Amino acid sequence: MSLWVDKYRPRSLDDLHYHAGLSARLRSLAASGDFPHMLFYGPSGAGKKTRITCTLRQLFGPGAEKLKIDQRVFMTPTKRKLDVNIVQSNFHIEITPSDVGIYDRVVIQEILKEIAQTQQVDLNARQRFKVVIINEADSLSRDAQAALRRTMEKYMSNMRIILCANSTSKLIAPIKSRCLLMRVAAPNTAEMQTCLQYVAKREKFDLPPEAAEEIIQDANGNLRKALLVLEALKMQSPDLTGPLAIAKPDWETYCNKVADMIVQEQTPSRVMEVRAKFYELLSHCIPPTVILKTVAERVVERVDESLKADVMHWAAIYEVRMRVGSKKIFHLEAWVVKIMSLYKQFVFGFSMDDFEA
Amino acid sequence: MGRLFILSENQTVAGLGRSTAGLLETPVHKLKEQLSEETAIRLSRPVAAQAAAVATGTLDDQLWVDRYRPKRFMELLGDERVHRETMSWLKEWDYCVFGKRRGLKAKKPSEENPLYRDEYRRPQEKILLLSGPPGLGKTTLAHVIAHQAGYDVLEINASDARSGQVVDDRIKPALETGSAVGSKRPVCVVIDEIDGATGAGDGGAGFVFKLISLTFDRGKKRNRAGEKRDSKGKRPLLRPIICICNDLYASSLTKLRQHSHIVRFTRPADIYLSKRLREICDIEGLRADSRALTALVGLSRGDIRGCLNVLQFIKGKNQDVTENVLREAAAGMKEGDGSFTTVLGNLFAPLSKKRVKDLAMNELDESRYVGRLSRDLEASDSLDKIAWGCLEHYTNLRQSDPSLMRHQKANDWLTTYDILSGTMWSEREFAIMPYLTYMLVPFYPLFQERGGGRVDRPKAGWENSVKTKANEEIYKSLARCVRTTSNNQSVVYRHLMSNDILQLEFAPLINRIISPPLRPVNSQVIKPVERALLQRLVEIMVSLELRFVQETAEDGQLVYRLDPPIDVFVTYDGKRAADIPVSRYATRHLVAGEIDALLIARQAEAVEKGKTKTLDFFRGATTHEEADEVETPESRDIDGKLMKSNEAQTSQAKKRPADKIDIADKPPVDFFGRPIVMQTHTTADIPGERPQKKFRVSYRFNEGNSAAVRKPVKVAAFL
Repeated sequence: MSLWVDKYRPRSLDDLHYHAGLSARLRSLAASGDFPHMLFYGPSGAGKKTRITCTLRQLFGPGAEKLKIDQRVFMTPTKRKLDVNIVQSNFHIEITPSDVGIYDRVVIQEILKEIAQTQQVDLNARQRFKVVIINEADSLSRDAQAALRRTMEKYMSNMRIILCANSTSKLIAPIKSRCLLMRVAAPNTAEMQTCLQYVAKREKFDLPPEAAEEIIQDANGNLRKALLVLEALKMQSPDLTGPLAIAKPDWETYCNKVADMIVQEQTPSRVMEVRAKFYELLSHCIPPTVILKTVAERVVERVDESLKADVMHWAAIYEVRMRVGSKKIFHLEAWVVKIMSLYKQFVFGFSMDDFEA
Repeated sequence: MGRLFILSENQTVAGLGRSTAGLLETPVHKLKEQLSEETAIRLSRPVAAQAAAVATGTLDDQLWVDRYRPKRFMELLGDERVHRETMSWLKEWDYCVFGKRRGLKAKKPSEENPLYRDEYRRPQEKILLLSGPPGLGKTTLAHVIAHQAGYDVLEINASDARSGQVVDDRIKPALETGSAVGSKRPVCVVIDEIDGATGAGDGGAGFVFKLISLTFDRGKKRNRAGEKRDSKGKRPLLRPIICICNDLYASSLTKLRQHSHIVRFTRPADIYLSKRLREICDIEGLRADSRALTALVGLSRGDIRGCLNVLQFIKGKNQDVTENVLREAAAGMKEGDGSFTTVLGNLFAPLSKKRVKDLAMNELDESRYVGRLSRDLEASDSLDKIAWGCLEHYTNLRQSDPSLMRHQKANDWLTTYDILSGTMWSEREFAIMPYLTYMLVPFYPLFQERGGGRVDRPKAGWENSVKTKANEEIYKSLARCVRTTSNNQSVVYRHLMSNDILQLEFAPLINRIISPPLRPVNSQVIKPVERALLQRLVEIMVSLELRFVQETAEDGQLVYRLDPPIDVFVTYDGKRAADIPVSRYATRHLVAGEIDALLIARQAEAVEKGKTKTLDFFRGATTHEEADEVETPESRDIDGKLMKSNEAQTSQAKKRPADKIDIADKPPVDFFGRPIVMQTHTTADIPGERPQKKFRVSYRFNEGNSAAVRKPVKVAAFL
């Protein structure tokens, strides 16, 4: 028994609830025997991985669902050992190279070489090739992407690559041009409504459409989140009637609190308090870019129209800097101070710079 | 050919031997005499030469630092208490090192007298750690004291490779043989500049790590029969080790600090130092006015080695020691002592008046800070730490900054610093390094104030990183749980494993999923709705490998802890999220019981299929069986007792009045050895128990559970 997210995950292309056009296309691709490299991209929780597994099933039959997980050890050139978890069936292999950070190139090269060198031995297999699924392809390092591009062409005869990414912007152009791009858009409200109702029906309970509506509003196109929230709701108040308190993730609530603090007061001591909050968030392993984005969005809601553009502008600038730098808190704080001083200038109606100079 | 040649050579030698008298001009014995005379002259010359050099001050083949290095304990300069402390520590070793030789006591008194703290009567801390700024004479002290106490010194310093290997190759053999090669005195290992050793970071191979483990090696107790020692076994440390470092708080020394006796060096009083300099100047025939010498001491901050070098340099130029000459000669000494807290302090506070005087700076020099500070920063070698320090300190300052203008600027510099250093490390572009220091200098004009608060070591960043690591570990274990389950049941949980999803969506929501509003009631009388809820909860928890583990809290109360502790992810600022009901002990207890039951059932199923056989399974299986089978209403008594014996089913056992077994362990037997069954008697003497009827217990085996051993057992065996 498992969580609903997994229990009602569609297993084959025919079971998918939305993006029927995409499913049809995948089906025909799988049937044609001329299967290309593919790049699935789209927002989180839209169903990319589900579609990939369904496609695999279409390609290889139910055998592709017999998975095993191995831990493999790779050696870097500097003799460091890397442990990587690999999910594989007889027909495909699935890796998340971003787990190993900057050493992802080593993993990519080793795995691809290994796959490329071995022919499919199972004579009953429907396809002559194996599939390599690379998750979180947008966090692949430049080196790893470069390592990928030649192998993609060279070993086309016994290997296909399926990349899964949130956006294509971080992939180098040569890779994009070698893949068939598949955009998996987030489901719209009606589609999500169907999915939630489907789950409710299968679980044999009544989901009031208004409740579902609320969940969908909150999930913002992320079906996985919607399903998790639904399950949490069902667990916490089994009858699902009356006013529903949609559980927001705690880090989000906390980020909002930080944003409110910034808007309330702009003093050095407040800067310190905000810093402590940031530390708390960071120590909970919330990615700093996510923190910045969430807080900025909340601040934008709270400030005057004329400031909104500036807030976002600076958030963007500091996010870029943060990605380059290594001490995230520096940039978070710099942004906070910037916003505070902007806000103050706005409130007092003149620029303090002239005043001080 | 070869043989022939050798033969002919032999002949020649023989020939020479025969005609010695004829061939040599001077006889052999005279040659020998000449040789010995020459040696004698050569041997005596350095002493004379040195004496001459000291007397006339002409010969400069030796550094003054070496020439005037103290040779005896009494000559040492500096805080006498420090010297004494060091000496007394070394003397503590006397029994261990010299004890036997001096024959103070009979053999091995330590073994017979367990009162001694240490088997070999060694001091408690087996390593001495001398720390202090350079040039105060730490190395000299170590050497002098070791000699004075009768040791030979084995010195390991920065010129040797300092990996874990050295400990094995050099230190260990020396310690084990007890003396250095070719000497009779016992050895004392002096490890100089240990803060530069490879740290404890690289696993077990680190120098410091090995050193510490050396002190923990316990020798096998020597048995009386003889000195039969295990040659492979580790031997105890029987010789003193002295370590010397500049920065006591170097990261590589963190481990060592706990295990060593720490002696801190402070700069000696300026008077003594200048007095000593005065003496040396007199011996060397250097004219020096005492004001200049005092200035020199102040300039060097007590670094006597530096002072001597400067003096020798001036002497070499044949000048008199005056203040101006000194300033010129000691130009390089202006640089700071490099400790990063000092540098950090300098960034936030102007130079003290005294220091300004020492350096003889005028107003203009004082106001020029960029060069001075960047030099300081460069010398400090820990820019990152200073940057952290700046971040932590700048908001504490008192100057008002209403528009946050200065804060903005400070942050601009900090972010620029971070970007540059980040790029430098990631792109291996170390040419950027020299520019980094200038990113931190602006803190001086922005925030300097006299008498501002003391600058502390930055620690928030570090604390945060520790916490983050701990939480990352929890995420990892959660991911591992998810992974193992997907391995076992071919469930596709793996889609949840990716980091972002795990952190942002899964962790907060799973916490809500596993904390439904359950009432802590007996699982027997639970309402059907709640029953379903409970079942679902248990299934989810089992499938994710989440458990409630019973623990005793600090105040002695029993608590159930979630394992892995993923509830930290809904706990911010020490408070749990408001919308998650606090699950109470009783609830968790109930859930834990159910989880166990389910697991046991699973295991039993697995066994049925003949797949696995675990060790603890037998106990578990019987538990399950009892819970299912024995529970006939009449069997309450026995049942209760059985229940008590296993922990898994505590929920029910707790509700029952505890029955006491007050018969002796053996069942009573009658004259013929047949057991007397006395059920009523057993319980009758417990007040409050109603007398029991006679009952029969029937056992039936559950077909699904083949775990039990099928064997007829009498009730008596259970009583």
